[in-house]
Amino acid sequence: MKRNQRPRSLCAVAAVASVLAGAAAAAEPVAYPAGQWDHIFDVWIAVAVGIYLIVAVPMLYFLWRYRYRPGVNEVGATEEAGPGIEVLWTVVPLIIVLFLATQSVALYAKQRNAPEGALDVKVEAMMWAWNFEYPNGKQSTAELVVPVGKPVRLRMTSKDVIHSFHVPAAKVMEDAVPGRITELWFQFNRAGEYRSFCREYCGTAHAYMLATVKAVAADEFERWLAAK
Amino acid sequence: MHDTAATAPAAAWYRASLREWLLTTDHKKIAVLYGVTSLLFFLVAGAMGLLIRLELSAPGLQFVSPDTYNHLLTGHGAVMLLWWAIAFWGAFTNFLIPIMIGARDCAFPRLNQLSYWFFFTASVLVLLTFVPGNEIRMMWTGYPPFSLHDNAGPTALYVLIIVFVAGSTLGTGVNFITTVLRMRAPGIGFWNMNLIVHGLIASIVVQLVGVPSFVGAVIMLYLDKYLGTGFFDPAIGGDPVLYQHLFWFYSHPAVYVMVLPAFGLFSEVLSTMSRKPIFGHKSMVAAIWAIALLGFFIWAHHMFTSGMPYWLRVFMSYTTVLIGVPTGVKIFNWVATLHRGAIRFTTPMLFTLGGIFMFLIGGLTGIPLALPAFDVNVHDSQFVVGHFHYVLGMAMTLAAFSGIYYWYPKLTGRMYPEALGKTSFWLVLIGSNLFYFTQMVAGIEGMPRRYVDYPADAGWTLLNQIQTVGAFVLGLGVLVSLLAWWRGRNGPIAQRDPWGSPSLEWTTPSPPPPQNFDRFPVQVPAGWTPYRYGPKP
Repeated sequence: MKRNQRPRSLCAVAAVASVLAGAAAAAEPVAYPAGQWDHIFDVWIAVAVGIYLIVAVPMLYFLWRYRYRPGVNEVGATEEAGPGIEVLWTVVPLIIVLFLATQSVALYAKQRNAPEGALDVKVEAMMWAWNFEYPNGKQSTAELVVPVGKPVRLRMTSKDVIHSFHVPAAKVMEDAVPGRITELWFQFNRAGEYRSFCREYCGTAHAYMLATVKAVAADEFERWLAAK
Repeated sequence: MHDTAATAPAAAWYRASLREWLLTTDHKKIAVLYGVTSLLFFLVAGAMGLLIRLELSAPGLQFVSPDTYNHLLTGHGAVMLLWWAIAFWGAFTNFLIPIMIGARDCAFPRLNQLSYWFFFTASVLVLLTFVPGNEIRMMWTGYPPFSLHDNAGPTALYVLIIVFVAGSTLGTGVNFITTVLRMRAPGIGFWNMNLIVHGLIASIVVQLVGVPSFVGAVIMLYLDKYLGTGFFDPAIGGDPVLYQHLFWFYSHPAVYVMVLPAFGLFSEVLSTMSRKPIFGHKSMVAAIWAIALLGFFIWAHHMFTSGMPYWLRVFMSYTTVLIGVPTGVKIFNWVATLHRGAIRFTTPMLFTLGGIFMFLIGGLTGIPLALPAFDVNVHDSQFVVGHFHYVLGMAMTLAAFSGIYYWYPKLTGRMYPEALGKTSFWLVLIGSNLFYFTQMVAGIEGMPRRYVDYPADAGWTLLNQIQTVGAFVLGLGVLVSLLAWWRGRNGPIAQRDPWGSPSLEWTTPSPPPPQNFDRFPVQVPAGWTPYRYGPKP
């Protein structure tokens, strides 16, 4: 399982890492494409903790080792920078960030591109509610009912100001912008009721502009969709 | 060499009459005007921040209504960024640049005076937003269509504030770029100028290039709202995302406006207090200018979820991560400067070291935000807020405090109380880490930003309470520093050069006389650098 692949040594070296890593670990991929985010998180936290230690440990050591001591260490050295070490700490970070960006692009394509055969749902955001419309014309407000095990693609716009639809379980979001149609996809693997938040500031009731994503079994979804 | 330097002025600057303060064109007095205005607004914005933290300490609405909360958030953001993180560097620009390059004032003292009074006007306009009915609730970003909506408050006031601030910025920019280009003492060139002068000037160049885009955007807002144009209105062919591009084209580089001077300042203090020349002086200069240039090609990482084209998201992701390279060079050079130094843990040094630690965490948590695959789950979450409070909020504030302590003897002719300074540092460091690290965890846990309330069952309550405690410890630390600066007015008389630094500002009396130096041009020995420390040859 995903969680067990996490490099454990990491958590051992830094409490910092374990706090953040623990926070991010979804027990089970409740929804796709959450795995892509988990993956980039794992890579980043390993790199970040590594770089942090490479900088902070020598820094703390130097602060102690080369502290001012009357009669013992009163004057600093005059070191000239050799080009070698400066080239090293320019090129190595360059390789690291290019690696991270390239990996992100590969993962991002999976987060952005909905699989074939996704169920299209039109979303209209407004101050301060969400309205969902299904292919057969059925409408629903504040509650987005989706079938378990089937990808859903939201095609979103807004009636007034910019809003943003975040699905925490799937770890993806996209703005709903007036005059534009934006897209977002996810797939729930387990039935249940999940919360969704507006993530773009939209005024007085921004913090209350929640929606419920209700994932139900496929046959139950069909019955719900067919009902008036 | 400096044995014929100037004598102290008959009366110190702080004895000046009110009339003198209102009419002064002296760069040092104008520096004090910027500094005091900026600090007062820092306290106001800080108090707003504490109110925000109080409101978030428990789910539900406790202290303020959502509309008041949104006004507090807007005010806290706009004032902290424009009045503190940018404007406070105006004080350093004014005070330090002419002295560090051996000039008697800036190139255009009257323009300098005008720039300050533009800033003062904008400050008065900001206070008007506290008048009932005038509250601006569009956040400092002012995204349309919301900022054109009545729910957002008076758009015209926001636009006017930005225009006056921009006027001040452009005046200062033209003035100090000219000053540095034309008024340096012979022997001071690009490669041996103080790094803080590079940092301040790079930030000014960024403003000069970027601010017109921002001002253009807010004037378009004004036209849309009051004259019926449709730049941002899709119903008549406009596009709200256009505003975001124009806004971030300046407002992303603006973060470098805030941190480049901090980088320069860290180098000054680190070198002096380690008794060692700054490591890799040339690469430090190159890194500052590389960041300033690269900063203009990365703005759209603020818009990864705004519906812009896929290719632009990928392109801006690559350009954004590249910023990490020159930034890394700076951090590594600072660490290398400590190697084989003789490190003195004075208050300014503590603030500088703390600032570098905070910046390191801020930088490392900024890298994932440059990756769309990561950003797509944490955009507009508390993670982003925690990140930029590390990188801007704390790195900049710790640098500014370090600078105040470092040049306090030069500015006032007195030494500050060391014990109070160190107490303040530890309170600020502990409080801010407790606050902002927890805030990033809350963001990873999914808490959105700009929320007045959150569900009680979301699991965010404890994380918010820790942040609130941290915020008040941080606030207390700031108050202790204010006390230290106040008490320092009766401190021991400071020498001309209390830190033993070859940088030019320390060759003139404390506080410096009106013309800064006795003789012009100011003489510097051949091969001079401001960081000539280490064993005497």
